[in-house]
Order: sequence, then C-alpha cells, then structure tokens
Amino acid sequence: MLDRLSLSMRASHILVALLVIIALVFAVVAWSTGDRFYLRLATEALIFAGLALSVDILLGYTGLLPLGQALFFGFGAYVSALVLREVPSFWVAIGVVFLSTLVVGLAGGLIASRARGVYFALISFGLAQVVSKVVYNIRELGASDGLRGIPILDIEFGLVSISTNAPLAFFLFTLAFMLILYAIAAYLLDTPFGRVLIALKANEKRVPFLGYSIFRARLAAYMLAAQIAALSGALYPMLRGFVSPELMFFAVSGNAVIGVILGGVGTLAGALYGSILLTVMRSVVGTWTEHHLIVIGLVFMTVVIFLPRGLFGFVRPRLEALLAREHRP
Amino acid sequence: MKTKLKGILAVTAIALSGSGAAIAQESVKIGVVTPISGTYAPIGQQVRWGLELATKQVNEAGGIAGRQIELIFEDSEANPSVAVQRAERLFEVEDVDFLTGTVNSGATLAVGQLAERVGKLMATTVSFADSITAGQCSPNVFRVNARAGQQSAALAAWVVEQKPNAKVFYLGPDYEMGRSTVAAFKEKMTEFGAEDVGELFAPLDSQDYTQYFGQIRAAQPDVLYTSVAGNDTVRFLTQMQEFGLLGDMLVVGASGTITSQNITAIGDAANGFGTGVGYSTRIDTPENNEFVEQFRAAYDADPDLYGTDSYGVIHFYKAAAEKAGSLEPDAVREAMRDLTWMTPQGEKLMRGGDHQAQQPMYVVQINGGSFDIVGKVDGETALGADLCERF
Amino acid sequence: MDSVLFYIQFVLAPQMVTGLALGVAVVLVALGLTIIFGLLDVINMAHGEFYAVGAYLAVALGLAGINFWVLLLLIPLIMAPIGYAVERGLIQRVFNTGEDRHVTTLLLTFGLAMVIEEFILIVFGVETMRPASPIPGAVEIFGLFLPNYRLFLIGFGLLVVAGVAVAVYRTRFGSMVRAAAFDRNMAASLGVPVSRVYALTFALGVALAGLAGVLLAPIYSVFPTMGRDFIFIAFTVVIAGGMGSIAGAVVAGLLLTQVQAVSSLFISPVWSQPIVFGIMVLVLVLRPQGLFGRLGHA
Repeated sequence: MLDRLSLSMRASHILVALLVIIALVFAVVAWSTGDRFYLRLATEALIFAGLALSVDILLGYTGLLPLGQALFFGFGAYVSALVLREVPSFWVAIGVVFLSTLVVGLAGGLIASRARGVYFALISFGLAQVVSKVVYNIRELGASDGLRGIPILDIEFGLVSISTNAPLAFFLFTLAFMLILYAIAAYLLDTPFGRVLIALKANEKRVPFLGYSIFRARLAAYMLAAQIAALSGALYPMLRGFVSPELMFFAVSGNAVIGVILGGVGTLAGALYGSILLTVMRSVVGTWTEHHLIVIGLVFMTVVIFLPRGLFGFVRPRLEALLAREHRP
Repeated sequence: MKTKLKGILAVTAIALSGSGAAIAQESVKIGVVTPISGTYAPIGQQVRWGLELATKQVNEAGGIAGRQIELIFEDSEANPSVAVQRAERLFEVEDVDFLTGTVNSGATLAVGQLAERVGKLMATTVSFADSITAGQCSPNVFRVNARAGQQSAALAAWVVEQKPNAKVFYLGPDYEMGRSTVAAFKEKMTEFGAEDVGELFAPLDSQDYTQYFGQIRAAQPDVLYTSVAGNDTVRFLTQMQEFGLLGDMLVVGASGTITSQNITAIGDAANGFGTGVGYSTRIDTPENNEFVEQFRAAYDADPDLYGTDSYGVIHFYKAAAEKAGSLEPDAVREAMRDLTWMTPQGEKLMRGGDHQAQQPMYVVQINGGSFDIVGKVDGETALGADLCERF
Repeated sequence: MDSVLFYIQFVLAPQMVTGLALGVAVVLVALGLTIIFGLLDVINMAHGEFYAVGAYLAVALGLAGINFWVLLLLIPLIMAPIGYAVERGLIQRVFNTGEDRHVTTLLLTFGLAMVIEEFILIVFGVETMRPASPIPGAVEIFGLFLPNYRLFLIGFGLLVVAGVAVAVYRTRFGSMVRAAAFDRNMAASLGVPVSRVYALTFALGVALAGLAGVLLAPIYSVFPTMGRDFIFIAFTVVIAGGMGSIAGAVVAGLLLTQVQAVSSLFISPVWSQPIVFGIMVLVLVLRPQGLFGRLGHA
C-alpha cells in the first residue's frame, strides 16, 4: 500500500526515467551528427538543473524561497576550481567541495534557518549578494575577472577514464552524476525526515507537539540543498575551464527559481525539466532576438498566473492516479 | 590498459578547425559576442555600430579577397559564463572564422581561453586591463585598442606639466579594470614625483558618490584621477559639481570615463576633464574626418573610442587575412603579428611579442562637449615593454 | 585641536548632511515598498522598475516642455492608475491560488520587472539622460557647502512622508487600510471593500515610486537599469524598520545611510553593503518583527 507521498515520489521517478531516455536519445543523435556545442550546452543545462533541484528541496519541501542559492553553486565552483588548479583530480575536488560545504552550509543555515517566509528569501538574497561582492574584491580569487586555466581532466574509474573535454562522455557522466544527486535527495525526502519537512510546510505550529525540532529539520534541509547546489557547481569549471563571480549573482539564483516554477514546485523531476527547458529556451531565444529578457519574463509571468503548479503540477496528478490504480489490491 | 573515451570527437574537432581552404564564394563569418542588454549595453551599441559600418564599406568595396563579410551577433549580457556559452555556439555551430566584441575583461579572458582550446582567433576592441596582453596573454587573443598602461603614460606626462608635484587622489570602480587603471596611472605619477594622498574603490553602480566626498575633501588634492565609467561617471561628476568640489581641481581619468554616450548627461560638469585616449573625433586627418562624417550620417551620433576601434578591427582582420592568403587561424595569426594597418586614428602596429596594438596616444580635454586634443605621445613611448612570456 | 575642529566642520558634518540627503532618497523609494508589503504581503520586486518608469516619464515630459513642478504632481497621477491596473490585472490573479502568497507575488513581480526593464530599453534606448536640476546653485552655511536641490529634497521628502503618514493614520481610507492589514476577513465583514482597498494601496505605492523617480532623476540620472540601484538598500530598510511601518522606514532609512556615510570615511566603501546587511541580520535575530512592528499590528 502506497501513501500519497510515496506515490508522488514514484511519479517523479518515472518522469526522471523519461528524462534519462530523452537525454540518451539526444546523445545518440548529437553524437552521430558530430556535434560538440549542443552536447556541451546540454551538459551545462544538467549542471544548472542540479542547482534548480536544490532550490526545489527548499521551496517545495520547506516552503522557503531561496533567492540566493547561487551562493552555494558558486562556492562549489570556486572550491573545485581552486583545487583542480593545484591537484587535477576529480575525486579530490569533489571530496573537498563536499567537506567544505558541510561547514559553509552549516554556517549559512544557522543564520538563514531562523527566518521564515519573505525574511528567509531576503536573507538568502542578501547573503549571496554580500559573498559575491567579497569574492569580487579578492585578488587571490581572481577578483572580478574570475579564475581561468582549470585544466582538462581525466576522471578515473579504475579501468576507465573520462575526459572532461570529450563532449559525449562528459555529458553522460554529468547525467549519471545528476541522477545520483537526485536519487540521494529523493531517498532522503521519502524518509521520516522528508515527512517532517512536509508537515512543517503544512502547519508549523503543530510539528513541535509531535516531538520534532523545527529548527533542526530546517537546518538539515538547508544543508542538503547547499550540498546539492555545491556539488553541481563543482562540475562547472570542469566543463568551462573557468569560474567568475557572476556565477553567484542574482541572475543565476533567479534563473534556478524560474526553472523550478516552470517545471512545478515540489516535484523534484519538474525542477530538472524546468531548468533544462529554460537553458535551452534562453539559448534559442537569445539567438533569435536580442530582447530575449522580455520573452523570458512574459513566459514566466504566464506560468505563475495560469500554471501556478508548473508543467508537472498538470502532468503529475494524472500519473499519480494511474499509479494508484495499479497498486490497488 | 585504459579505454580512453576522449578520442571519440577528436576527429570532428580537427575537421572543424581545418575550414581554411573554403570555397571562394563563401562569406567570411565574424562572430560578435557583446553586451546588448544590461549595464554595458551602451558600449555594446558603439561596438555594433563600428563593426556594421566597417563591414558595409568593406563589402561594398569587394569584401575580403572577394568574399563578403557576415557578422553574427550574440548578447554576452556582460557575463563571462554567458559570453563563453555564446562564443562556443559561434565557434562550433556557426563556424566563425574570427571573433570580437567582448567588453569586460572577465569575458575577454574567459572567451580567450575558449578560443585557445578550440584553436580560433579573437580580438577585443574595448577591454583595458593590462593583463590581457601581459601576464595573462594568449597566442589566440589580440587587442586592437589601447590598454590602461598606454593611456596613463600619455596622460601622466600632461598632468605633470599642468600641475608639477601635484597631490593626487585616485578613485576607481571596484573591479579589475578599475584597479588596473588606477595602479597603472599611480605608477606613472609616482615616477614623475607626484604625491599620493589617497585612493578609493567605489562599488560599481553606486547611486551616491557624495558619501566619498568627505575623504576627498580631507585629502585636499590638486588632481583627481578616476576610472569610473558610463552611468557611474554621470553621477560622480555631476554630484561633484553640485557640491562645488570641482573648483580648481584638475579632474582626469581613463579613456572610457567620458564618451559620446554619457557626455550629454554629464553636461557642464565634464568641462576641463582630461584623459589619455587612443581616439578623438577631433583628430584632424582626412581619414578621420571622413570616418566621423560617415558614422554620423549612419547613426546620428558621434563615434567614440569603442566604436572606432571596432571599426578598425574589421580592417585589421581584412589586412591580415589578405596578407595570409587564407583564413586558417595559424596563418592569420602569423600575418597579424607585426602587421601595420590603417584605422581612423592613423596607422596602427600590432606588436608580435604580446599581441598589443601600438598607436599614438592623445591627451584630450573636454571643452563644451567637444574632445579637444591638447597633447600627443608617440606610439612606442606610450606602449612600454613587452611583458608577455607565453609566446 | 584645530585639526579636530577642521575635521568635524569640513569632513564629518558635510558627510552627515549629504548622508541625510541620500537617506531621504532611500526613504522615498522604500516608502511605497513598505506600504505595499505591510498591507498586501507582496514583495514588489518591480518597485525599482516603477521608480525608473517615473524617472523616464519625467525626462520625456520634461523634454516636451512640461515644467518640473507640474511633473511632481502629474507623474504620481499617471502612475497610480498603472499601479491599480497591475494589482487588478496581475497580482490579484495569484492571490488565492492556494500557494504561498509571498512566493507567487514575488515571482510574478520579478517577471514583471524583467519585462519593464526591457521595455524601457526598447522605447528609450541605452543612452543615459539627466534632467537639469530645477533649483541650481548652492548655499554656504558655516563653511558647509550645500546644494539647494538637496536641501529641497530633504524638506520635500519629509513632507511627503508626513503626508503619507497622515493618509494612513488619520483618514477614513487609512483606517480601512489598517483594518484590512490587521485582519482581512474581519475588515470585509465590517463592510470594507477589501479588494479595492488592496488595489488602491498598490496604486499609492506605485505612485510613490514614480514620485521618487521624478525627484531623484536630476541627482542620480536616468538609464534603463536604474531600477536595480535602490532595491537592495530599500528592502533592507523595509525589513529592518518593520514591514509596513512608516516610522520604521524613516528611522531605518536614515540610520542605515548614516552608517554608510560615516563608515565610508574609515573603511573602503566596498564593505558598506556587507555592513548594512549585517545590521539587517542582527535586527532580524533580535527583533524578528523589525524595529517598529508591522502595519496594523502596532
């Protein structure tokens, strides 16, 4: 017997499986036409989809709107870049990003998790604003120019190694990496911890009576989201070979939020779809007209007004109904 | 025994880069990644005008070795991440032969690294930061405009003449261009024996500069050097004027501080402002007079240094490609090195050692909205030593 | 001793007075924001863009020959119906979708801000414009050099704040606004036309943004991205002051700009934003409702 939450999680898994199939078909087509650009653009879209996933964990599961999640994305990117310039090893870079994000996520969480509603949104916005300004002024971090010269890597897996400069291989690797992040997030959110978060979102005042600490649950969600954003960000310099303070700017955080809204808040899979759709849309519309921001803005407003639950708010209930029917004894 | 997956697309990469021996009728594609939206949009507009005017004229005169030039624009949003993604599209999908248009130094450096990795050439017509053709130089990146060091060499000599042993205050925007222009000018002034009475870096897009006036007032400088640009200059200078700080202080600055784009908004407050620059509409040569006239006729606006250097880069590429007899990047690079070509400013030389253009530098003083030339330094003196060690 | 006096008279005092002028500018921008926030619970991300529209209208109509003093009255009158229409046509549509109202309205106005900024770029182009100062010249008091227009701005700005305070605390419309902010359902059952009050309040906020645009255009000049300038500090002021509190906006606005002005004498101005942000976080930790509490609850 499945309850509603497990049901919606299962619906999300099916949609992600569909995404993987689409991605593989795309990869085959792109590879057979000898393309480089679209494979690398798709890789970038997947990396930013990781950021959207982390926004969805906060927005969809705790109701907190992070307007500065790019802070952690950029943090992961910078740490990864700094490590790779010294030690060109994927595993070392990911390890350092993971450990340092534990500390930074805890620090940020202690400040931000005290606040609720709009206050959280604005604190998160302010934190990112301030940190990006600081990075912008530190010479050792390349200041406003950022850091370049991150070498092309070979990611070692015992017998096999993948070069970050081979578009197809690195695309497939990124796809697998994002699937792992998704699986971890989905697993954690399907445990009692995830249910406490949802309970918090529904009625904050009652949760303490059940014996759970609001603050600790919030903090844990914040740290999980920070970790996913930072690990996604860690892949950025591997793909593009540089990092710059703009990765922490509001435009990046804002885009992630737009992606989540487009796909559907609280659906996990929707965040991935929405963000990828947005990256593709920006690239296509940007080539087509120079006033692309007006198009993105209008699309976004239309979604907020007419599809407040996003594309998947529309698709998922139908899928869930289908699943529920199958599982009826 | 390792299975290397990275070789998969190596073949395609070679196929893409070897497009030099194309059919004669095919157009020459030049990619332009420049800010069309956001704070730097006014610079992007001059870049676009300069490129389009030159392209139109070159095409009417028969193109590059009989081939028409085609410009392909992309919005960089002045963001290196966006610029690199757009540039990659131009290199890989459009298969452009050459790329230009980047404005902020972060974007120029990041796109330069990409150009190097895909084996194509690019040039900036705007970025000032010395590092682009010094510490961070790249064999695939050229600069046709004057860098911060060239500008300050000319200006410092003039300032010392006006105010010997001056007390100088420096105010720059808090990013790399701001810091490198201030550092370059300060170094020159210190050489000439000026006294440094303070420096300040104001955040980009500061609304109100009045909060820094206390420090400036306390320092009582004779000369104020600033490298803020665009809207920031409008606010800074008009607020200085409003508070009666301009007085008999000599205000000088970087060449992008006042341009034809913001001079109307600055109004009277621009009077007396001096700058070292590679271009002024008042350069009185037949080439320049003709260029200014054509530019005005086409866009109903004056060309500024960005527009002019962007105009010049088309002629630079044309001269190099025709000399090389090919569009193949390695051949064109060789041709570009130590090339001399004609621009509205006169003849420029591309120094082979660091890919930095050498040109005479002017000291320009603003008087009632016109950029009057009050001094000139020859190209070699202004340029200084070659600090590039990579090639 | 002399040097200390010199410092106070010629450095510190002018610094604090110019800081006051900036403070009044910030309060003017934050005022409309805090009223909308306090009553409707809407974080209007497009507030800066409405401020820009006001400034552009002032430039355009000024070029058409309309006097600055007429514009001071005219622009708010043009902006108010725009605000009313935006509230009715857009904001109210997402008010009752069942999702978090903070989030949906914030996102909606975020999209709107992008559209307005691009629209300005298309209509007016990229060039920077600046209307001439309507009161040129300056006065000298105790060796202190003060531009006339800044003095006017300080005086007029405080008048506007007082006018809005009277409107909110002393008029019938104001009591309806406060009642609706305190408890929407109760107000509705007492016969307050809540949705019209909402729309009118939003219109008032937008009109104030437009007025700030006219007033500040001669000092800060006019260009497409100008709307982003004040947003960070204005939001900080609204939060630190207490959402919807007019007194809070005034006190927080003046205080934070004084901190900026005085601190920039000693440390690089690059750090002024982190300092201001630190103060906001501190206020939130110590007094989560802000310095003065929220509108209708005091």
